[in-house]
Amino acid sequence: MRKGLLYGLLFTSPAILGFIIFTLGPMAASLGLSLTDYNVFKAHTAFVGFDNYSRLFSGEDDLFYKSLGITFYFVLLRVPAVIIISFVVALLLNMNVKGRAVFRTIIYLPSIVPAVASAMIWMWLLNPDLGLINSALRWLHLPTSNWLYSESSVIPSVVLTTLWGIGGTVIIFLAGLSGIPKQYYEAIEVDGGGWYSKLRHITIPMVTPTIFFNTIMAIIGSFQVFNEAYILTQGGPNNRSLFYVFYLWRTAFQDTEMGYASALAWVLFIIILFFTFIVFKTSKSWVHYEGGERA
Amino acid sequence: MRQSKLALSAGYAALFLISALFIIPFVWLLRSSLMDLSQIFTMPPEWIPRPFHWDNFHRALTTLPFGTFFTNTFIIVVGVLIGTVVTSSIAAFGFARIRWKGRDAIFGILMSGMMLPAAVTLIPSFLGWKTLGFYDTYYPLIVPAYFGGGIFNIFLLRQFYLTIPRDFDEAAFVDGANYFQIYGRIIMPLSRSVLIVVALFSFLGTWNDFMGPLIYLKSDRLFTLALGLQMFQGTYTAQWDLLMAASAAVVLPCVVVFLIGQRYFLEGITLTGLKG
Amino acid sequence: MSRQKKSVSVLIALLLMTVAILSACTKSDSGSGADSGNSASPASPSGSASSDSAGGEKSNEPITLRMTVWGAPEEVAAYKVAIAKFEKKYPNITVNLQHIPTDYDTKLTTMVAGNDEPDVAQMESASIAYPLAEQGKFYNLQDFLSSDPEIKQDDLVPNITYSLEPGNVIGLGPGPETFALFYNEDIFKDAGLTPPPSKASEAWTWDEFVEVAKKLTIDSKGRNASDPSFDPKNIKQYGVNIGTWWGNYSNFVYSNGGDFVSEDGKTFALNQPAAVEAIQKMADLINVYHVAPSPVQAKNIPATNIALQTKKVAMAIDGQWATAGLAQSKVHFNVGVLPVMKEPMTTVVSGMFSIFKSTKHPKEAWELEKALLDPDAAIDLLTAGTWMPSYKSWYTDPTLLAKWTENLDSRPSGYKDAVVDILLNDSHQTPTGYVKNFNKIMDIVNPALDKVWLGQQSAQEALDSIAAKAQAQVQGRRDVKG
Repeated sequence: MRKGLLYGLLFTSPAILGFIIFTLGPMAASLGLSLTDYNVFKAHTAFVGFDNYSRLFSGEDDLFYKSLGITFYFVLLRVPAVIIISFVVALLLNMNVKGRAVFRTIIYLPSIVPAVASAMIWMWLLNPDLGLINSALRWLHLPTSNWLYSESSVIPSVVLTTLWGIGGTVIIFLAGLSGIPKQYYEAIEVDGGGWYSKLRHITIPMVTPTIFFNTIMAIIGSFQVFNEAYILTQGGPNNRSLFYVFYLWRTAFQDTEMGYASALAWVLFIIILFFTFIVFKTSKSWVHYEGGERA
Repeated sequence: MRQSKLALSAGYAALFLISALFIIPFVWLLRSSLMDLSQIFTMPPEWIPRPFHWDNFHRALTTLPFGTFFTNTFIIVVGVLIGTVVTSSIAAFGFARIRWKGRDAIFGILMSGMMLPAAVTLIPSFLGWKTLGFYDTYYPLIVPAYFGGGIFNIFLLRQFYLTIPRDFDEAAFVDGANYFQIYGRIIMPLSRSVLIVVALFSFLGTWNDFMGPLIYLKSDRLFTLALGLQMFQGTYTAQWDLLMAASAAVVLPCVVVFLIGQRYFLEGITLTGLKG
Repeated sequence: MSRQKKSVSVLIALLLMTVAILSACTKSDSGSGADSGNSASPASPSGSASSDSAGGEKSNEPITLRMTVWGAPEEVAAYKVAIAKFEKKYPNITVNLQHIPTDYDTKLTTMVAGNDEPDVAQMESASIAYPLAEQGKFYNLQDFLSSDPEIKQDDLVPNITYSLEPGNVIGLGPGPETFALFYNEDIFKDAGLTPPPSKASEAWTWDEFVEVAKKLTIDSKGRNASDPSFDPKNIKQYGVNIGTWWGNYSNFVYSNGGDFVSEDGKTFALNQPAAVEAIQKMADLINVYHVAPSPVQAKNIPATNIALQTKKVAMAIDGQWATAGLAQSKVHFNVGVLPVMKEPMTTVVSGMFSIFKSTKHPKEAWELEKALLDPDAAIDLLTAGTWMPSYKSWYTDPTLLAKWTENLDSRPSGYKDAVVDILLNDSHQTPTGYVKNFNKIMDIVNPALDKVWLGQQSAQEALDSIAAKAQAQVQGRRDVKG
């Protein structure tokens, strides 16, 4: 209809070209390198077939399974937490309150404060002896925790620290909320519905495209968690926060095994692709586009 | 929309509580930027500098050529911002508002670009740019913005374009409009708020990025603010007082840009006004 | 959703196609790399010798050398001073200083991948210096040292020479650093205790050290750690901050006669009695005597200068570099020799400068390396306290020694005995300099030691539990032939 293919390609061609030029090449290169023993410093690179992959799955590299498990645990905790909390905060910020410009800015502030500064504060907040959080818990006569410093609580603690960075997700929710026509709510009010029916019948269905976007991005981002390990925990204690991409980076740049690291990367790629695919597939049944499009 | 008094006060209470939590890092940064080294690290922390070390700012900003860094950053940010907003919105239009064969397959492929950890594509990308002769130039930092501006932004805009009712396009087609006119006259005005979000993200992302400049630049006359900040942090040593002061100076423009920018996605757009 | 499925298969097909193209690329890459690799066999002096004669006398054509460094602004400023001196001496040479402010290894790795190596690079033995050297990327500086009229290996202080194997020097450290016991003089005065001795011959035994640390660890009610009612949960001032990274505990492992690997380089040795005892004694300071902060508590103890100034700790085991910060803080600090387990010992750590084999001007690069080693050029870093000099004469000649040790805030009264003398007489090379595959071994050891510092396992248990895995990564020693 209306030369859809021609115009479709015309409009998307810059992006497609950009992908082919800037993304596809490096991706293909890393896929190819995952079949070699590539070491940046080494003069000779040999083709090793699927050796890197069989080394991964053979169980010889126990850190592979360990870091994968840790990362799954992190994703499982973080994705729902980020979506729910960001959504609630966005609803609050969308209320007709005085000074919401300031409130919105404050929510975004942690996202622009340099990571090293934020890390310093978490070190204090989560310090088992002097930290604010444990002091508050003690004051309330609640059990305290060793947070980042104990094997059992390090992952939930890291999830907690990442929640400071939800500013971007909240802003996207706000943009989604701002697109909901006000008269939809008025219709509910005419029918005598309260805030719950507004939320249930208007707000949530109308922001499903935004929820969908934020969920996909949270999944992709959480599987690739790196900075928290790099800055906050260095993978400890006892490798309990050795996130997959942190391990991968260490393999690539510290142990200089770039070929093996590429294999690690492609395994993660397939995993992320799979979960993204699943969410896309289910979106048909819950994402509602006013434009009538299906996923 | 009417809100009951009770709901409103509960909302305020919640907002104040959340804001108190979220403002901590920024206040920490500001107070550290005005303290001497020993006070930055007092435990439990102190919040009021004794005395106020305003000279931290002077020392931090004169130790390194921050004027040059600012100009460089400005050039890159403006370049990236324009490219990203224009080309990502065009591409998103093609993925959301035009029906064509293979569209979703190609969109899926583009999405996959976000799924491979950057650690393993860093060196191939670098080699590519270097082969083209663009090492130590701003091209690797700016040019990609003109080729779609990143799949993140395209995906975000696509999601919003998909929510605009199709009747608008149909009505316009009946009036003899083509896709360009629909893009320019219907979709763009209706998606102002999300375009501002894309612009904000690309401004802040570029402003704070140091990894890109680190890899693609080698002359320090080309360095950016974010990379300059790293000099205080050092590979093995950190000058915390200067780092904090310089960071605060670099972050403040972001806060101002954000305060201004968010006004534009504050107000919702009433679709019926256009529908009539 | 069949479209989605299609997208996946299209993607995979596309990527597989490009593998073909790519493998061609890698081959051509490795081809060009192989050339440089072959001509650059590390042990043969021919490369440098021939270029020596080539670049020797006809040295008036303009030459540019590129050099990469990390460091804080004042360190970079000191390099610029050294470079300015060098350029004055060699007017035809321009040195292009490239300061890499962060992620030095990542950046240098991409530069190497892009055949964009600098001529001279600052390197760190604990990171990618040896991986590069093992692939023959560096000149053997031994060849230059043996034929240089101005400088001999023997002119340099011990343990700043980094070798890939005996006779193959890959880098020289311009600023050695030892470890010592820093302390706040006021705290000792107020407590009426004798401060740590500065002479190695009078060094505290471990038990004496523990006793003093107990008396200087104070809880919130003012009781010290030797008091039976002492409350270890509310400590206001710790006796000593020990630091739990390998640099710190290596001192005591060596002092106790232990090592990271056995003398023949064949066996993992941290689980041997001498090393285990040293590590256990350090852990006991935290978990038995409560006189040192655990790694968790230490996260809130700032750098040594601030920790001593604010009396969070009375003593701190730290590197010599701490004197730079201490000199700037307003604190009455002094320095003593580390407590001794069996014999006095300090590990020497330092960055190094290496010359890439790809340089077109090896002779000039060597001259630059010498200029960077020259203590006169680094005098600002020496007086500030950041470095110690690399030339022996600066330790033995009283006039030269005075230049960097006298009337300076960074050099308190104990400095000459506790730092200067011990470097010359009782120092040990850093394990990163001789243990092959050090990082991989430590990737296994560090997580195990986490449990020791936290008091969850004894050093023996923890190290035994990973001994087999660590042993699998042991590849020998660089100071042993073969």
